[in-house]
Amino acid sequence: MSEPILEVSHLGKSFGNHEVLCDIDFSVSKGDVVSILGVSGSGKSTLLRCINLLETPSSGNIYYHGQDICERGFSLTSYRAKVGMVFQSFNLFANLTVLENCIVGQRKVLRRSKEEAEEKAKFYLEKVGMLPYISAKPRQLSGGQKQRVAIARALAMEPEVLLFDEPTSALDPQMVGEVLAVMRRLASEGLTMIVVTHEMAFARDVSTRVVFMKDGVICEEGTPEDIFVNPKKEETKEFLARFIN
Amino acid sequence: MQEFLNGIAKSWQGYGMAFLSGAKNTLLISLVGTLIGCLIGFAVGAVQTIPTSKGDPFWKKILLGAANAILKVYVELFRGTPMIVQSMFIYYGAKMLFNIHMDPLFAGFLIVSINTGAYMAETVRGGILSIDPGQTEAAKAIGMTHAQTMTSVIFPQAFRNIIPQIGNNFIINIKDTAVLSVISVTDLFFEYKSATGALYTYFESACIVMLIYLVMTVTSSALLRLLESRLDGDDSYDLNTTDTLAYTSGLLSYRPKKRAEEPDNKEAEK
Repeated sequence: MSEPILEVSHLGKSFGNHEVLCDIDFSVSKGDVVSILGVSGSGKSTLLRCINLLETPSSGNIYYHGQDICERGFSLTSYRAKVGMVFQSFNLFANLTVLENCIVGQRKVLRRSKEEAEEKAKFYLEKVGMLPYISAKPRQLSGGQKQRVAIARALAMEPEVLLFDEPTSALDPQMVGEVLAVMRRLASEGLTMIVVTHEMAFARDVSTRVVFMKDGVICEEGTPEDIFVNPKKEETKEFLARFIN
Repeated sequence: MQEFLNGIAKSWQGYGMAFLSGAKNTLLISLVGTLIGCLIGFAVGAVQTIPTSKGDPFWKKILLGAANAILKVYVELFRGTPMIVQSMFIYYGAKMLFNIHMDPLFAGFLIVSINTGAYMAETVRGGILSIDPGQTEAAKAIGMTHAQTMTSVIFPQAFRNIIPQIGNNFIINIKDTAVLSVISVTDLFFEYKSATGALYTYFESACIVMLIYLVMTVTSSALLRLLESRLDGDDSYDLNTTDTLAYTSGLLSYRPKKRAEEPDNKEAEK
């Protein structure tokens, strides 16, 4: 395997006295699709937010190509441009059109020219099937459409890794389908992704690796087959039994 | 009744032009004061909402702490005292302490701006806080700095949300500039006092002046409503495709299009 892009080591996070994450270790290499499973409150989202430094870890380290991202002087903005994020609640910029949503980051952070940014934005909007809607405002779109635009916005930055924080949890079943279809396509094209999800079918069929979390620790980790067919831990079995039927 | 109408006519003939020029000054001071006040408000609101984190360098914390303390004093001082007293304080203070003889109109701009700024600061802060923090996070997550996030995403939305408040302030300013007559700014109320001093038409002049104030405020609120709906933009949008199958139901408009050849057809029928 190649050198990991991201390496999380002994990561811990607590809010006050409440310990949310404890001694998390895992790494992501190019082309990996890592699904993080677990019940709500098990620390999945916090882990993802720590990776993007939206939350500051309380202990441990995160290495990006071997460089500690919590170190002083590390350029946070260029790191974040390389590690994109898609949120549960879409978080599109409400004052900008679909196209502008996908352009603003490229212009401000990557300093791309207007033409180049527009071209890239359109390319990725087409990829998620939202090209016809470039002049619409977010409030005029359905949930699934918003999430696809949010994915295009993240992709337009051409990140090395894309983090998905429960991207389909706020959608109805039909829209879940359209968003998952986009994510499957991205995975098949070799995009490196870390996905926090409750979509078991997606985790089973698309991931290269599955991480099961419980109470702030990684309970079990392995290939989809390891986790879904031959889970070793009692907790994992229990979780899967509850979720799959 | 006859006497009242005569009084109206007398005041209008004698001081009509003066009233109008006073109204012009009132409007000018309110407009400039509100605009500059808004700028002050945005600047203060922006500084007050700069996020701090534990990892910030020491100098940044000190600087921000000092700035916030000064701004807090500014807001409390000018919100907490009457504008009529502030205008005396500034106008005569500048004269006594610094030997600056301000032009009354300039003093008017200054006082109304500072005063509006103090109110707007809180309004802007509220406007900024009202924007869903998810958008700030999303901007952060694609690597935008706090300043970039503010100017591209948050300010435009906060501005839209506080337009009703800006309008409120503008209308309050139109009326409250009346107090500037104590430092002899020749606004509408100052002209009223001059007119009544010479003609003794207290009630009749008041009727005229009331009406002028009312016209100014009602027109302003109508214009602001217009601006609001302009900023909201159209509710419909065009799909960027020629594939009509992409149009879902309800998006096509069935308004009959005017055809260029129509007049020709009619002529042919004749």
